[in-house]
Amino acid sequence: MNNIIKFAQSATILPQWSPIFASQFHTSSALCRVVSGKYRITKKRDKPLTYEMANPPHYIAHRKSWNSWNTSSLKDGLRKSETAVEDEFIRRFITGTWHGLVCSEVIIKRQFNHIRVAVIIRRAVSPTKMYFLLGYSEEMLSNWIQCPVTLELQTVDSYQDVVFKYI
Amino acid sequence: MSLFIRNYKPGSVYNAQIIWRYHSNKVDMAKKEEEEEFRVLDILKTRTRLQKKVARRTDIQPDRSEKMKTDQNWGNVWPGPRSFHPSSVPLPMRQGYVPKGQAPPGKKANAELMKVPNFLHLTPPVIKMQCEAIKKFCTPWPELLNNEEAIEKNYPVEIITSDYCHASPTIRNPLSRIATLRIKLSDLKLDKHARDKFLRLVGDKYNESTDLVTITADRCPIRKQNLDYVNYLLTACYYESWNVEDWEKDKTLEDMEYYDFDQNPSKANLVSWFMRVSKKGDLSDEEIKVFDINNIPHGPEYKKAVSDLFNNSESDQTLQDYDAAVRKLLGLPEKKVAQ
Repeated sequence: MNNIIKFAQSATILPQWSPIFASQFHTSSALCRVVSGKYRITKKRDKPLTYEMANPPHYIAHRKSWNSWNTSSLKDGLRKSETAVEDEFIRRFITGTWHGLVCSEVIIKRQFNHIRVAVIIRRAVSPTKMYFLLGYSEEMLSNWIQCPVTLELQTVDSYQDVVFKYI
Repeated sequence: MSLFIRNYKPGSVYNAQIIWRYHSNKVDMAKKEEEEEFRVLDILKTRTRLQKKVARRTDIQPDRSEKMKTDQNWGNVWPGPRSFHPSSVPLPMRQGYVPKGQAPPGKKANAELMKVPNFLHLTPPVIKMQCEAIKKFCTPWPELLNNEEAIEKNYPVEIITSDYCHASPTIRNPLSRIATLRIKLSDLKLDKHARDKFLRLVGDKYNESTDLVTITADRCPIRKQNLDYVNYLLTACYYESWNVEDWEKDKTLEDMEYYDFDQNPSKANLVSWFMRVSKKGDLSDEEIKVFDINNIPHGPEYKKAVSDLFNNSESDQTLQDYDAAVRKLLGLPEKKVAQ
């Protein structure tokens, strides 16, 4: 980039254009800062983080493990894109259906054609409603994905139980 | 109004309204009771209807793991593969990375424990029990096939296929269609001509160092078809190699792709030399061709040395062998290495 500017400034062919050329380019060093999957520290240090959130993505397989378990991600795995899209759909469906109740990431494990979805849920609704949502989610998901889907829930009293630290 | 504010909870507007109305009613009632001594007939039953609904929180049962007996059958508690559930597992588990000096997060509300695949359904007693259960479907291994050699002798053809296990709505994997057939060339009944032709037909499918012919097929969509095709290929190559075409008889000495001692003048020279030395009289060309080299002392060694020299090209080793063979044949003393 600097070379182009120098070239434009030193060009004798179009001396009258050279200041324009030079002013068109704004150069600055690239900011290679990774921000995805990381959380900023608050002033009061009162932002609650779960264990999953407390460890940035580069700690996957070191301090935390994957949220999707399937054979598609292996070498020569089949249905790579389909599996990814389905997993994202399941995640959105679960967080939307169990609105405000999901306290952790949605963990999706696939064995053969069986999909097991594990979530930590807040005990904010009555057990009756929970049973309804459980059956509803399983039924709807297995109808859409055409696979048996099992929800494996763990319940906690409040969101406080899954908080790992405050930043 | 102060009551309203104190009792107000976000998201419970309905409740708040009820409280507001209840409060205003109550004040009115109190005033009336002071003024009159008769009770007012409450036709609309407003008081009972305005009872505040108390949101009851259901009692949380204690953990199942606390009530478990020490001699319970674990296979019944955890019968199949399942994500970790803290209240069902009576183990003091912890998982997670924490700074030095702290305890890792416990088993409750720990998503990491739910992520890792567990083998709680495959404890040794359960495996033993399941093996016992399927034992009645198994037959004993044939006694005569107790070692590798016996298996190779009785089942010379080896079929190799792969089954794939993966997480997907379909159980089919296109790679499972590939079928491979392996057979030792020495197990096939071939004569010299047929063997030569067979090797030409299979080409690079023959491995010289292991003497194995490997035929792989993946052109058909189903494994059964590929297996049939592989078997067909072996059969076709075998019978084709036994066929002798008319034009194969036209092959002359110049067409030979390798040095055949029995067809070359070397044999004629050797045999006629031997006949002259042993004073048995001359032989005709036909007789020379059928003459067995093994009758000549050190004849086979000479044959091997000459064939090696021509087939494997000149090298120190082949020349040395040739030298030794000729000396033995002619009864000359062995070569003395100059010191």
